[in-house]
Amino acid sequence: MAQTNNATLIRREIITRLCRLYTQGRLDEIDRIPLDMAPRNTAAHNSRCCIHKARAIIRYRIMALLGFNVADETDELETLYSYALRSLAGTDHGNGVLTVVDEACTSCVKSNYTVSNLCRGCLASHCMVTCPKQAIAMENGQAKIDPSKCVGCGLCQDACPYHAIIYVPIPCEESCPVKAIYRNEQGIEEIDYDKCIHCGKCMVACPFGAIMYRSQLIQVLHRIAKADKPVIAMLAPAVCGQFRVNYPAVAQAVMKLGFTGVYEVAAGATLTAKHEAQELAETLESGKPFMTTSCCPAWVEMTEKHLPQLKPSVSATWSPMRYTAALVREKYPDATVVFIGPCVAKQAEARKYEGVDFVMTFEELGSLMIAMNVDFQDFDQEELGEVIPERIFAASSGVLSAVMANYHGEPMKPLVVNGLNKKNIAGLRRIAAGRSDYNMIEVMACEGGCLSGPAGISSPEVARKLFNARAGVQVEAMVESK
Amino acid sequence: MVEIKICFGTLCFIMGGAAFEMLGEHLPEEIRNKVRVEGMNCPGFCHKAEFGKPPFVMVNQTLIAEANIQKVIAKVREELSHGANQ
Ligand code: SF4
Ligand code: SF4
Ligand code: FES
Repeated sequence: MAQTNNATLIRREIITRLCRLYTQGRLDEIDRIPLDMAPRNTAAHNSRCCIHKARAIIRYRIMALLGFNVADETDELETLYSYALRSLAGTDHGNGVLTVVDEACTSCVKSNYTVSNLCRGCLASHCMVTCPKQAIAMENGQAKIDPSKCVGCGLCQDACPYHAIIYVPIPCEESCPVKAIYRNEQGIEEIDYDKCIHCGKCMVACPFGAIMYRSQLIQVLHRIAKADKPVIAMLAPAVCGQFRVNYPAVAQAVMKLGFTGVYEVAAGATLTAKHEAQELAETLESGKPFMTTSCCPAWVEMTEKHLPQLKPSVSATWSPMRYTAALVREKYPDATVVFIGPCVAKQAEARKYEGVDFVMTFEELGSLMIAMNVDFQDFDQEELGEVIPERIFAASSGVLSAVMANYHGEPMKPLVVNGLNKKNIAGLRRIAAGRSDYNMIEVMACEGGCLSGPAGISSPEVARKLFNARAGVQVEAMVESK
Repeated sequence: MVEIKICFGTLCFIMGGAAFEMLGEHLPEEIRNKVRVEGMNCPGFCHKAEFGKPPFVMVNQTLIAEANIQKVIAKVREELSHGANQ
């Protein structure tokens, strides 16, 4: 779920500056961005210690926005311009979609347990005695935990008679539903790409904005500038909840950015709903107990990496993104196809299959609008054709209701899993163990559906409100969620 | 009546102004019918650094930079009490 806080806004400001430099042919000035954003002699932007650190953080953010994994830096003196040229040359830029800006991460808490001022430095020193790792020492009359030794067992907290030891959550770790992110020996968070399902929850949770997706934006801009092939934008259904205008105005604004054509992914969703309904009827007829949706790539990755028992139950029907890309290629076989959505996981999905060349986020789209002075308010809002009902795929329970509308078969016993949190994952494990009688299960990694996607423009409530006002279809809980 | 004018320009909207979509829901009961909320197209504040950072909101004659719902409500209260003193 996207939230606008300072960390988000700084990211957007950097994206805007980057787009400006590229579109104005001044990319060679890219190494000035950290200096311009954290100028000398001012209290630099939320800098927590010094201007050099503030600049270093901006530099690594730009590295991620150029498509690199921050951990892959080999030469600290390599200029951003050199990274930019490498990015445009389009060689592969390493592992994973998300990357941790370690300079920003070091400012977070180092250990889940910390001794508060309530500590009396008591004679008994229950905490010291209890700690199995000898991580606690007395310093200046108070206990102190050495984060490099602490393993987070919490025994000291239970031992302290004054309740002086407190638990401090580490936001990214707390938010990750699959324990894919943890501190390495240097005390920096590291993502295990074998476990990560790209849900983007850690990115949203980190108060320092230390987790960034590796952007493909610069490559998209480069394809548009080259103009040797058509560049087609595909707008995810959640687009109707992003801006203060109706879909047609967004589509025209996107054309203004230089895209050759704009497609609504809801068009592909129509095909997904139809085929998935048919697949469900066949699946149940063949005697299998249930099927799950497949349009949320974070859910599909969840089954691949953590719930292999459920993998065979995931629908084999293509996602709306893939169907829409196929529609695009019917008309423009050699096009560069760009999916634009609120989602981090879609980038991972796009890398897996042919058809979609790049994935951009809505916040990147918005920042690019700013950079190119394109204002949504300037375009005509009237819906020309019929509104595609499958826009409802953007909301939790929407996929299921669209499948239902196409379904003919034995009675459907539907379940909506609204968000991959720990509780819902436990529920899915019970289903995997055969303890349920649902036969059709919709799963979305984001609570509320893609309208709450991690790289959207605004908060889930705003997105939902705008969607209801502008999409021409209503989000309502058609099926009870669990 | 206190007049609240929210910039609906794309820049303000993306740089935090989207949150004002929920302004109506967040206005405290006692001031809800003492304000008039309107939108405005980009008045150009975003082009000049001296106005500060987006998003921009006008409360009566006062320009609020880096506006958020709390700041706007505080300003509305100030305007209302100001009016009462006169
Ligand atoms: S993207 Fe999701 S799965 Fe991956 S590390 Fe972050 S929270 Fe965990
Ligand atoms: S619910 Fe939508 S935005 Fe969220 S991870 Fe799944 S596909 Fe992406
Ligand atoms: S967009 Fe708000 S002042 Fe320009």
